[in-house]
Amino acid sequence: MTATLHQFERNFEDAPRAAAKTGRKPLISLKGVGLSFGSHEVLQDINVDIGEGEFVCVIGPSGCGKTTLLRILSGLIQASRGTVSYRGKAQTEPASDIAIVFQDYANALLPWRTASQNISLALEAAATPRAERKDRIAHLLEKVGLSKHADKYPSEMSGGMQQRLQIARCLAQNPSVILMDEPFGALDAMTRQKLQDEILAIVSESNVTAFFVTHDLEEAIYLADRVIALEPNPGRIAELIDVPLARPRNQLTTREEPEFLALRRKLFDFVLRYE
Amino acid sequence: MMRPINLLWLAASFLVTLALLALWQWIANHGYVSKVFLPGPDRAFAALTRDYSSGKLFTEVGQTVLRMALGWLVASAIGIGLGAAIGISPFARTWIAPTFEFIRPLPASAIAPVAIVFLGMTDNMILLLIAFGSVWPMLLTTIHGFSNVHPRLDEVARVLRLNRFERVYKIALPAAMPDILGGLRLGLTIALILAVVGEMITVQGGLGSRILLAARGFRAPDIFAGVIMLGLIGLATNVALTALERRLLRWQPAPAT
Amino acid sequence: MMKALKGFALPVLLLVLWQIWATVAGIHSDTLAAPVDIAVAFVKGFSDGTILSATGMTLTAAAGGLLIGAGLGIVSGFVFGLLPPLSRLSRVTVEVLRPVPAVAILPIALLVFGFGYAMEMAIIAFACFFPVMLLTESAIRQITPRLMEVARVMRLTATQRTFKIVFPAVLPRLFLALRLAAGIALIVSVTVEISANPQGLGYSLMMAGQSLRPADMFAILFWIGLIGWALNWVLVRTELKLFPFHALRRAAE
Repeated sequence: MTATLHQFERNFEDAPRAAAKTGRKPLISLKGVGLSFGSHEVLQDINVDIGEGEFVCVIGPSGCGKTTLLRILSGLIQASRGTVSYRGKAQTEPASDIAIVFQDYANALLPWRTASQNISLALEAAATPRAERKDRIAHLLEKVGLSKHADKYPSEMSGGMQQRLQIARCLAQNPSVILMDEPFGALDAMTRQKLQDEILAIVSESNVTAFFVTHDLEEAIYLADRVIALEPNPGRIAELIDVPLARPRNQLTTREEPEFLALRRKLFDFVLRYE
Repeated sequence: MMRPINLLWLAASFLVTLALLALWQWIANHGYVSKVFLPGPDRAFAALTRDYSSGKLFTEVGQTVLRMALGWLVASAIGIGLGAAIGISPFARTWIAPTFEFIRPLPASAIAPVAIVFLGMTDNMILLLIAFGSVWPMLLTTIHGFSNVHPRLDEVARVLRLNRFERVYKIALPAAMPDILGGLRLGLTIALILAVVGEMITVQGGLGSRILLAARGFRAPDIFAGVIMLGLIGLATNVALTALERRLLRWQPAPAT
Repeated sequence: MMKALKGFALPVLLLVLWQIWATVAGIHSDTLAAPVDIAVAFVKGFSDGTILSATGMTLTAAAGGLLIGAGLGIVSGFVFGLLPPLSRLSRVTVEVLRPVPAVAILPIALLVFGFGYAMEMAIIAFACFFPVMLLTESAIRQITPRLMEVARVMRLTATQRTFKIVFPAVLPRLFLALRLAAGIALIVSVTVEISANPQGLGYSLMMAGQSLRPADMFAILFWIGLIGWALNWVLVRTELKLFPFHALRRAAE
């Protein structure tokens, strides 16, 4: 394993390292983070720094604690060991500028609220004055391409539209960090690719930091500046892999680049070891 | 709104009902069933119009509806309030909710004798009976609704940092609404039944007393007139609640048929 | 297990408080009785056979009415379910008759049958008929067209289709309908006995109240509640045993 890793690093010695981006202090910092339920160890000794504006993807075989790690970052659950700091402070509860896109959009949206009203929820929570909400909502709906569906209920929308709506609600929080838990896992291939590009556009436009859990290896490479590969039992970091592909990325050309293919091969080999 | 073909079926269905009424009339006219038991619809209708013009009908329907509505409203307030409180508190769910499960299978009318012992054959006894009987479905469905909010919505509320009031008002209450409305509907059905039972036992006026007295006096047309009115009350309340449900639950996907 | 025990804590506590209050205040009332006195009345009622014979009457009436009402309900549910035009034609009639509260037909039944089992059973049958019919009809409607297509592709005969596809698909919901109807039957029988019919548990309960025997009254009330609870418990258990796959989906109920 280490052999392949070194091999890989030699191949991309000239790649822009994520570390280079973080001359400043990291935005999120995990030190020795572990989590146990009783005697069952879910996560073990996670150490990673995430810089501002960085796009980090997490991959790994099922049961490696990807989603749990995301939940710890969000403050929804607390680590049993180690420290999680956000902007230098311990992360003990959800912060107002950290948004989460859940995988099961159907459960995460309020079914009794229309698209606009769902976005409004985040604004209400932030005590945005009523007068401002309308414009903000219209703007956000436009951003995710749902302007025509403002008054539809989630049950009247397709899966892709519902996930767009959830993203819009997250953007209404004006987030510095967006945590995404396999957000496109339940969508068809075409919708998935479109949403990948939309997310990349949104992220680069507003310089948010993205933490993206996925089981789709190509998706991870396509989106990320850096990929965290977790191995299971207990979940721990196997490798941190930089993705030196140029931006903006393109669904056709990026996916054909030799670096992309090499990374793809490498990640497949990694995951196959645990099948 | 309704497709023409469906409208046609509805009209045909109405005709079938009318045909059955005609059949009933025919049977009554020819005396196939004793007139003592089965008056024709004409005589039942005559009894209705007679009571309508004398104002008696209005008074009796008013009494029954008022009792039903009052008892039901009291039960709704208690059921929804208490149900919400228990539903959001895990402590109450563990320690208090099971007691209700023990009481629920008790036929509501069985407390009538107890209520009579305490309150006598009075109006208040009927109200207590209605409120006690119809509170259970509302209480239990409300508890169920509030305690079964999807965990994801809970997390959304935490991530958005909603305060406790907002969580109840904006997340839990609307999420529990389908259950609550189901309980309200069931409660109203029970309230009407218990209003009639209460009136039959106490003979304190209202349609229940009327039909029982009519039975004792072998006045079959009056019984049927009363039963028709009770059916209409049941139908009207049902239609009203269905309309309310449609309005409040617009967001629900149409049930797959 | 622990959780179930916690559920008993509050009722037991209330009973103990009630008893303490009764002992300390020394009630000799026409309206209330101490739990211990109720227990004594309960045992006495059983040993002299009064409670048992009344129970027999109530359950006989409930079972008879249920049998008639649910039987007719299942048959018409099948007919309406398999012949949709018939169902649509009878819609208005059904919707008009259904909301009539079952006790409202008590005076009619009284007129026709007089006091006794027949009158009580008629009302119970009326009360059970509509829910069972509607649930049966919807159960048949909900056999997915896909399942019928499968049957056709496998070239099953009509008889095979009925016994291998329709019945097994309908049975779980049919049982659910019967369970609900059994509850209704018990409730209606007690109600009819309280309000008019001079027999069974409902009448005993009413008489105990009227003749100022609160201990007997509460003993019978407790017994009626216990029967209702036990009936539901047994039927739910049976349902879980017979149709575990179906029960899962309704776990939330």
